[in-house]
Amino acid sequence: MQKHSQKEHLYKLLVIGDLGVGKTSIIKRYVHQNFSPHYRATIGVDFALKVLNWDAETVVRLQLWDIAGQERFGNMTRVYYREAMGAFIVFDVTRPATFEAVTKWKEDLDSKLVLPNGKPVPAVLLANKCDQGIDVLMNNGIKMDQFCKENGFVGWFETSAKENININEASRCLVKHIIASESDPVQSVEPDIIKPHLNSSKIVSCSACFKS
Amino acid sequence: RLEEVPLEVLRQRESKWLDMLNNWDKWMAKKHKKIRLRCQKGIPPSLRGRAWQYLSGSKVKLEQNMGKFDELDLLTGDPKWLDVIERDLHRQFPFHEMFVSRGGHGQQDLFRVLKAYTLYRPEEGYCQAQAPIAAVLLMHMPAEQAFWCLVQICEKYLPGYYSEKLEAIQLDGQILFSLLHKVSPVAYKHLSKQKIDPILYMTEWFMCAFSRTLPWSSVLRVWDMFFCEGVKIIFRVGLVLLKHTLGSSDKLKSCQGQYETMERLRALSPKIMQEAFLVQEVIELPVTERQIEREHLIQLKKWRETHGELQCKSPPRLHGAKAISEAEPAPRKALEPVPSIIV
Repeated sequence: MQKHSQKEHLYKLLVIGDLGVGKTSIIKRYVHQNFSPHYRATIGVDFALKVLNWDAETVVRLQLWDIAGQERFGNMTRVYYREAMGAFIVFDVTRPATFEAVTKWKEDLDSKLVLPNGKPVPAVLLANKCDQGIDVLMNNGIKMDQFCKENGFVGWFETSAKENININEASRCLVKHIIASESDPVQSVEPDIIKPHLNSSKIVSCSACFKS
Repeated sequence: RLEEVPLEVLRQRESKWLDMLNNWDKWMAKKHKKIRLRCQKGIPPSLRGRAWQYLSGSKVKLEQNMGKFDELDLLTGDPKWLDVIERDLHRQFPFHEMFVSRGGHGQQDLFRVLKAYTLYRPEEGYCQAQAPIAAVLLMHMPAEQAFWCLVQICEKYLPGYYSEKLEAIQLDGQILFSLLHKVSPVAYKHLSKQKIDPILYMTEWFMCAFSRTLPWSSVLRVWDMFFCEGVKIIFRVGLVLLKHTLGSSDKLKSCQGQYETMERLRALSPKIMQEAFLVQEVIELPVTERQIEREHLIQLKKWRETHGELQCKSPPRLHGAKAISEAEPAPRKALEPVPSIIV
């Protein structure tokens, strides 16, 4: 055990997406391991900190920025996005309109924020409320993989803050891409150069994380 | 916890307030300073809702617009806004008895008030920060009265705060920061060094008039003063909180980084938010309307240089009850038109 040789990473992650898709719930589940139907609507921005023991030598601190979903707060996103290293874009699987807004959020993000190496920040798409049984994706995983490729997401997950499904997995996926893009600034992980997976297991629903 | 006001004092205050409310125009015209002093001491809970309506001018507004709310209440509203409002109904003071049940009276009235506003000002629509404001009002008055009080807040006290571009709140962020330079140079320097934009910590404070930030008894005392003296009170509360959180090198020791600083501003010390302390500090802080207006002009000029013209034109801000009553004098009974037949 060489505690003193531990590396520490600090990343600012954004959680964005339309109003009421469950951004706050996802963060509370991830950070405090609980769920409540009584969260207040986020006005402006809120924050939370999650510490991950990434591996034996690495500790990762994640600053999660919970950003108000109402469109008019988009006038402030430039300030909220500053110096972020990654993003979750969330939609609600029971409301198609929130999925349609995903590309709008992605464009907003990419137009206001790039990594120091000039590349867009890694973003993971979260299809939240998958416990509700009303899935507008209709289990159409191939289409989602395609969507992620076309829109520059490094992966996607069906999540449920209520039932604690896939949130840790989604976060590991995002962090992995951030570390990769940091340690190898020239050849960062890009979704469009990843070959389609041939025999990935059914549980893994992240299109780009099949290596793990 | 509520500050203990002896019952006798409370009864005395109630009778003083009753006298004021029954002769409001006279008091407003001649003894405004006395009203201000009494608002600073705290409006008796039993008369608070009524007093807020008198102070804000919403009572006059309602009388001038009899039936308007009922008319708006009957309309369906734009589905675009209804959808957003409905998503927010159970997310306002979720543990308050009035708003706890889905579809209960509190949530129903909140829906009616917010929907009516989108019909009253379709170009503004609905902003999420209006919901906590409307909820606090509904805790003190019926829906129609709460609606007109909300109108006064959105148009007179905080014009432009909730409109599409959110320009007014961003401007006020800059004004707050600039005022902080004088109030607490240490806090100002720290926030500058950490590159913490004011909108990162003041958006919810100002847009919700601290209703989601302070302990409840302090919220009520701040609102009593805000209705009387206007936005100056909101600025002062913000400045007091900043000064007592980041205003000395000792306090800054535990928030060296940007994130730590923001965390500190989000989880404020209960001591500085305590009713008696906070109110006293706010009353004593020498930040005037004139300073705010001067700073407003400076920041507006800077805004125009960097962002261009403001996209949402708002009416000028009125600094409290006196300014509102002067801008919109109560109609005098004697001057009401007498029905006449023209031959």
